[in-house]
Amino acid sequence: MKKNIIFLVLLVSTCGVVAQSPSPKTKKINKYADLAVTAGASQGSAALSYVHNWKIGKKEKWEIGIGARLTSYFGVKKDYVTAGPARLTRSHTVPFLIFFAGLETQNWDTLNIQRPFTNSLNASVNFGYHFSKKISAGFNIDLIGVTVGRKTSGILTGNGVTRIDPEVKPSAFNLLLTGDHDLGSLNSEFFLAYKLNNKWSLRAIYQFYFSEHKTTNLSQIAADGTLNNRFRNKINAFGIGISRQF
Amino acid sequence: MKNIFIGAAIAFATLLIGCSKNGTAPVVLDEQVGNSGTPVTAASAFMSTSGQSVTGNARVYMKDNKLVLALENFSTTNGPDLHVYLSKEMYPVNFIDLGRLRATSGNQIYDIPGTPDLSNFKYVLIHCQQFNHLFGYTILK
Repeated sequence: MKKNIIFLVLLVSTCGVVAQSPSPKTKKINKYADLAVTAGASQGSAALSYVHNWKIGKKEKWEIGIGARLTSYFGVKKDYVTAGPARLTRSHTVPFLIFFAGLETQNWDTLNIQRPFTNSLNASVNFGYHFSKKISAGFNIDLIGVTVGRKTSGILTGNGVTRIDPEVKPSAFNLLLTGDHDLGSLNSEFFLAYKLNNKWSLRAIYQFYFSEHKTTNLSQIAADGTLNNRFRNKINAFGIGISRQF
Repeated sequence: MKNIFIGAAIAFATLLIGCSKNGTAPVVLDEQVGNSGTPVTAASAFMSTSGQSVTGNARVYMKDNKLVLALENFSTTNGPDLHVYLSKEMYPVNFIDLGRLRATSGNQIYDIPGTPDLSNFKYVLIHCQQFNHLFGYTILK
């Protein structure tokens, strides 16, 4: 009985020691929540995200992972242009290479949306690299999700004609297909992070955000007869973020 | 840490304040067409929409071979982002934006681009563009 008690005490105290030091698996994971705000001309955004990254490589300097992000975008009198199909808006439509395709602006109509306000919930993918214990950099991009937001009016200008649609609304479905193939509202960031302590980090952010809205009562009629009611604003903005590690 | 949160809150509040509504200048203008202007339409009295007060007349002139719209003895309730339109309909669907309303009172002149058919674009509208709200209108005769 005495030996069993001693054995039990030794077993429990060993478990206690193991629980206090992180397991090898835990060290390879970087989980954090982040709040980011950006501002531009008559527009801004706030994004709340949760990130779950895995550290990879021998020195575990690289990170890759997944996350979820809620982005709220708001603006006043912002110009949106023809969102697609991509064969109307760009000189070629090869996925990924479409980033470098020429702009077919002669096919673009402009929708000046008076008060766009959207909330997008998207799954995201994240990449990071640690330069040192304190400094890291990274990139993240939304993959798929949904958007809700308010209806507002928009002034559609094309072929010298100006018309108002009182019911312009955000596109509901978001999907990353690259460049002008994208659907909906998608957020992406390049960032530089500075670790303040074990729990908190600050980020400097360059944001590239696609905001998409649809007209309800009006459509663009392209030169080839295609009817289009999707319009996109590509936003470049700078901001800051604060992260809390778990 | 507390200072960081305060700083972020101030930055966010600044963003929101930047979205505040701006009204039209509450001044009295006195721009006159002068003797070189020839009336193209009669003077048409404005009518107000519910909750607003728009008074005075609108008249189109030919001045220096260009069409201009004159708002005469004009007065309107102030509001954000007020614009002057020539429109095909009483509610702005197909329209020509003559620009932001420059003053809430007095005599004002707005250049009309091109030579639109005034039998089609026969409505003059005072419209809050940002909030899509019609303040007043008149029909050119």
